[in-house]
Amino acid sequence: MNEQMTDFEHKARDIFDASVESLDAETRSRLNRARQAAVAGREPARPPAWRSWAPAGAVAAALVAAVLWRFPGTGDSQQVQINGEAPIEIVELAAEGEDFELMIEDPEFYSWVADQAGNGSNGVG
Amino acid sequence: MMQPPRHESTRMKRSGTLDFGAAARLLDAGPVGQEELRLEHSQALDRFLASVEKRAFRIAQMAVRNADDALDIVQGAMLRLAQSYGHRPAEEWKPLFYRILYNGIRDSQRRSSVRSRIFSLWPGNLRPDEDGPDDPFENISDGAPDPSERLMASEAMQRLERALGALPARQREAFTLRCLEGMDVAETAAAMGCSEGSVKTHYFRALGTLRAQLGDAW
Repeated sequence: MNEQMTDFEHKARDIFDASVESLDAETRSRLNRARQAAVAGREPARPPAWRSWAPAGAVAAALVAAVLWRFPGTGDSQQVQINGEAPIEIVELAAEGEDFELMIEDPEFYSWVADQAGNGSNGVG
Repeated sequence: MMQPPRHESTRMKRSGTLDFGAAARLLDAGPVGQEELRLEHSQALDRFLASVEKRAFRIAQMAVRNADDALDIVQGAMLRLAQSYGHRPAEEWKPLFYRILYNGIRDSQRRSSVRSRIFSLWPGNLRPDEDGPDDPFENISDGAPDPSERLMASEAMQRLERALGALPARQREAFTLRCLEGMDVAETAAAMGCSEGSVKTHYFRALGTLRAQLGDAW
């Protein structure tokens, strides 16, 4: 790639190199630790994946609670409508099919959402 | 443009095969020799990862626009390479690593997309971690010198990042790997999982768009 590079390509490479060299010390240190862990064949320490999904779980739970409060005892969730939109579809968005892997990775979150839905139904409806 | 030797290119395209040469060397060596070979191999892997980690981080950061997510992606790619492909010949590591890296970037972007759709349901469309005011001390200079060249390079990089971000994903990958990473066509094709012809097409289009957008502004 070095030969036949135009000035434009040289400039792009140079400014990218400069941005790499200007990485802060903390990032370099974290990369270094991650590399050592990888070479040793162990998972680097990182926060559990469910933590980043906890706020989304709160949204899903709030939606479930709101639906159950607004339409207590309707029995058939397929018939529940808000402004012409089926709210159950909104809840399903939280666990949509393309992220099935996430359900496997974050079982606590999805089990918690299911629990919340169950509790809301008993407590509010 | 230099092409790699044909046998090299062919070897890189093989998938799912063991490095029988390395395996044979391990079997031939005695217990002490095996330990030395393993140590040598670990050191080679460490050197390779050290040579790509910072650049990989910047590539991931440009794609997902979040330093923590970028770090997670690079960590995952390093671990996956070491665990699943560490036994492969060292000359195959680079395209394999970048292939894993881009898979990680795409996974992260998909998750981020789902997450933002869920957060869009949050009252006022605020992400829960964005509802507080900014820390007033966060942006105050620490007094360190900030040379004008560095500032200009940083602005040029921001313009490049914006322009790259507007490109179709495959063009962005081709430009990043070919131009910024300096990989040849065969390596880039192996990393992107496509033909060398596709790499050339994606790269040519990316270069044309970027030139038109950045042109004299650089």
